[in-house]
Amino acid sequence: MARERYIKLLLMACASLSFLAILLIFIFILRESMPALTKVGFGNLFTSTDWNPDKGSFGILAFLNGTILTTLGGLIIGAPLGVGTAIFLDQVAPKKMATVIRRGIELLAGIPSVVIGWFGLIILVPFIARITNSSGYGIAAASVVLAVMVLPTITALSVETLRSLPIELKEASLAMGATRWQSIRTVLLPAAREGILVAVILGMGRAIGETMAVQMVIGNSRQFTLSLFKPTATLTSRLVTDMGEAPPGVFRSSLFAMALVLLIFAMLLIFSVRMITRKRKA
Amino acid sequence: MKAGRADRIATIVFWSIGLVSMAILAFIILEIFGRGLVTAVSPSFFAGQPATNQAGGGVGPMIVSSLYLAALTMLISLPVSIGAAIYMAEYAREGKFNNFIRFCLDSLATLPSIVFGIFGLTLFVVTFKWSYCLLAGAFTLALLNLPILLRGAEESIKQVPQTYREASMSLGANRWITIKKVVLPSAMPGVITGTVLPIGRIMGEAAAVIYTTGLFIRAIPLSPFDPAAPLAGYIWYAQTEATVPDYRQIVNGGAAILLILVFLINFSARRFARFYAKRKQLEVKL
Repeated sequence: MARERYIKLLLMACASLSFLAILLIFIFILRESMPALTKVGFGNLFTSTDWNPDKGSFGILAFLNGTILTTLGGLIIGAPLGVGTAIFLDQVAPKKMATVIRRGIELLAGIPSVVIGWFGLIILVPFIARITNSSGYGIAAASVVLAVMVLPTITALSVETLRSLPIELKEASLAMGATRWQSIRTVLLPAAREGILVAVILGMGRAIGETMAVQMVIGNSRQFTLSLFKPTATLTSRLVTDMGEAPPGVFRSSLFAMALVLLIFAMLLIFSVRMITRKRKA
Repeated sequence: MKAGRADRIATIVFWSIGLVSMAILAFIILEIFGRGLVTAVSPSFFAGQPATNQAGGGVGPMIVSSLYLAALTMLISLPVSIGAAIYMAEYAREGKFNNFIRFCLDSLATLPSIVFGIFGLTLFVVTFKWSYCLLAGAFTLALLNLPILLRGAEESIKQVPQTYREASMSLGANRWITIKKVVLPSAMPGVITGTVLPIGRIMGEAAAVIYTTGLFIRAIPLSPFDPAAPLAGYIWYAQTEATVPDYRQIVNGGAAILLILVFLINFSARRFARFYAKRKQLEVKL
């Protein structure tokens, strides 16, 4: 009996490892970002668009702006495409075709981000450059790349939600004489609303965190811009470019401050997902 | 008939959306293979040594690094995630603790991989003084993969019919014996299937490995404490730093090899799942 108790404790320790991991990551990143938070100051770090480590300016607003705009852009393109594909798979497509497309979406989810980034760099960036007469790098290119990357996440989760709806819902609405579109619009989508919202939020998490693919197409400049076609940077792309060269000190520490922002974003997203699903259960 | 027309338009729109999604996938795959397949299949490329300043380098040590890293990561994360999954599926009751662990797992799953990367850099590479090595990368990726592996394992364990447990318990077996002798053996094929896809993710991961395993090597890594350069990270490095004149060709070829590896893994995961499903049907018939 004592042995069984030890085993239970051991298994519980395994389960608690996820908490330990999050805690350790939080502590280490907070500790490493302390110099930047205290020396540069909270306000300066988050409200200045001037990032010039050689001259001692560490404002990350330009990259925060880049992260927000590319994420929004990716969702504006990717969310309708993902939810639309999910509805197509669940409601419209012939069964065999739906299977093929579902596998295709799984494949798309498996394509490494460096490969998608490289694809964006050699196809998308020159294309945007030609039609807009710019360098082609920037928020527009990053948004398209992110749309491709959030598509599988949003599709898979939306399909799961649509499938979990009771079949009677659809049957009842069709029996009342509704067309397929009417029953999708007035019955299925409202019933799947929370699930689809969760799918989009988790897609957002993927977009915020995507690093390599965005870094390859956004141009990596430190300027603040609202233009879709000017090179800029995101938190993740700045982090991955500068980490290799940053000497220990405030420069390196401000990179960790960016990671801290990303970590807080991730936890906020999960928190909001929890709130939504709890409301649904209640 | 207004409703009829709206329905027809909607049908056309949904068909187009579905086809656009497929077209994106096909376009990416065709472009990558079209540009890189010829390079990828030449032995001097996939088995060759990388060059530092001249053209003609290969990616042999990088492929070995990717495979080695995937194996090490699995070795570390599999026992832990199976253990955690057993706890979550068999012991934990719905409640505060369970809820909290799930919150941690979900947060871990949403955390950007670059954050894992710089965490691995500070903890394993700098604080533990391992410097850049396979083991640092493997521990970092093990953390990154924990939520996915755990979920796969937990689902397989939960799919084991409750009657199996009841039968074992009624024969006088205690909980752990039941888990060890009855639940785990019947959940195992599902657990293994659930671990195949994450291997693909490990191979494709670049942001979390470049600051933990290293970016460039010439010799094949042997010890877990050797520096390594997994293919995905190297592709990024070759593209960003462009230290060799033929870097475009190297990235094209490397991307094609990476795609082939990921597709092979994806394919075998599906074969495995199908094989498992068939066996299960047989069992039910018997």
